[in-house]
Amino acid sequence: MSQSLRPYLQAVRSTLTAALCLSNFASQTAERHNVPEVEARTSPEVLLTPLTIARNENERVLIEPSINSVRVSIRIKQADEIEHILVHKFTRFLTQRAESFFILRRKPIKGYDISFLITNFHTEEMLKHKLVDFIIQFMEEVDKEISEMKLFLNARARLVAESFLVEFD
Amino acid sequence: MLRLDYHNVLIHSVLTERFSGAPPVSIDQTVSDFDGVTFHISTPEAKTKILVSLQIRCFQDLQRYGADEVLRREYGPYVVPPEPGYDFSILIDLENLPAEQEARDELAMKVALLKRNAMAAPFEQAYQEYYQLKQEAAKFTSEEAPQGVREGGEVKAIHYREEEAIYVKASHDRITVIFSTIFREETDRVFGKVFIQEFVDARRRAIQNAPQVLFRNDPPLELQGVPGVKNTGTGEIGYVTFVLFPRHLTPQRMPIVISQIQTFRDYFHYHIKASKAYIHSRMRRRTADFLQVLRRARPDSEEKERKTASGRTFKVAG
Repeated sequence: MSQSLRPYLQAVRSTLTAALCLSNFASQTAERHNVPEVEARTSPEVLLTPLTIARNENERVLIEPSINSVRVSIRIKQADEIEHILVHKFTRFLTQRAESFFILRRKPIKGYDISFLITNFHTEEMLKHKLVDFIIQFMEEVDKEISEMKLFLNARARLVAESFLVEFD
Repeated sequence: MLRLDYHNVLIHSVLTERFSGAPPVSIDQTVSDFDGVTFHISTPEAKTKILVSLQIRCFQDLQRYGADEVLRREYGPYVVPPEPGYDFSILIDLENLPAEQEARDELAMKVALLKRNAMAAPFEQAYQEYYQLKQEAAKFTSEEAPQGVREGGEVKAIHYREEEAIYVKASHDRITVIFSTIFREETDRVFGKVFIQEFVDARRRAIQNAPQVLFRNDPPLELQGVPGVKNTGTGEIGYVTFVLFPRHLTPQRMPIVISQIQTFRDYFHYHIKASKAYIHSRMRRRTADFLQVLRRARPDSEEKERKTASGRTFKVAG
């Protein structure tokens, strides 16, 4: 793990642990509704200050806490065109399976590649520290996966080109 | 399977089976090949007479560049008037096959190479032009050569797919082959760029004797004024240029160089698709891993067996 990645992930971990302090909270504007306040945005008094943790200009995490839900959005590093395509494909792949991921949001919020929405119902059903672990592991592995795929693509291209051209030799 | 075959495997296997002395049966098969080429193998008159027809969209282009002579040279005694709806036909009589097994295998391979041979005509013509121009150019020093010799022959265009074409141009010291290739979507374009970059670099890095490969998004200068070449400016169409040097242009190397360069477009696109498929399956696997991690967040819900003080167990109702 590189030098700057460790404190970055540590900061995300602490912030998430602190933010994931959720309780059941029924909507104040609509009777008999219980919605994630961070999405509904109907009562400003239950929203907490959003926080951005940035490793550099291309990699950052936005954590928006509220009384009964937390929204975590991640921007994945995209150094060039290939990484952009790979990130796009990968996040689309994940969001299409959002149903089985429970906490994954179907659409990322603007400016980010992937968003998670954790509500009090999730923290009641699942272990909070394991949820945090999941997000951290996701962030670690997604970078690794993208760069591995990129390396694979380059290696394959090289092999393909050489084995084609060697026939002319 | 890293490389593509030059011949059509299906035709080859059908004919090898027929030539092996098996009892004749009636055949009626349509076989597809790359670049929208269709073959039709049938036995219209008798079970022993196999008709192989080829349909290729650029046949008129090819005829203009001498496909008829090349095909007549290759398939001389077997050529028959083309079947309706097809461009070229050959008829093989199983009762008149060469006696030796080797010659039969050779014939089966030759028929399987039908598409390659049809497409080879413009390349062979370019080779001939190159030899002529080389002879003429040898009479002059490079500065005082007349215009015609310096510029080389005309550009031969083969519109072998709907929106893609191969252009071949002979000069006195090289033959230039240009493929125009279209990328339907963004991913293909980006992957194609990665692949092409390796083709361009391969010569510098590993294989010094390979043809020079160039890539650009606007039509190269050789194609100026060639009908049908438009500059869309969108980067959707790419032009891949192969420059064949004299070492590739000897008569001995001709057949293999022509075969190899014909497969370029299919080979290139095939590997782009294959990479996409691999990456897709990799993402699928990785997604399953992530799901596994998330599942760990759920506490184990299984009931512990409860016992009474005397050691008896009981089930909780409902």
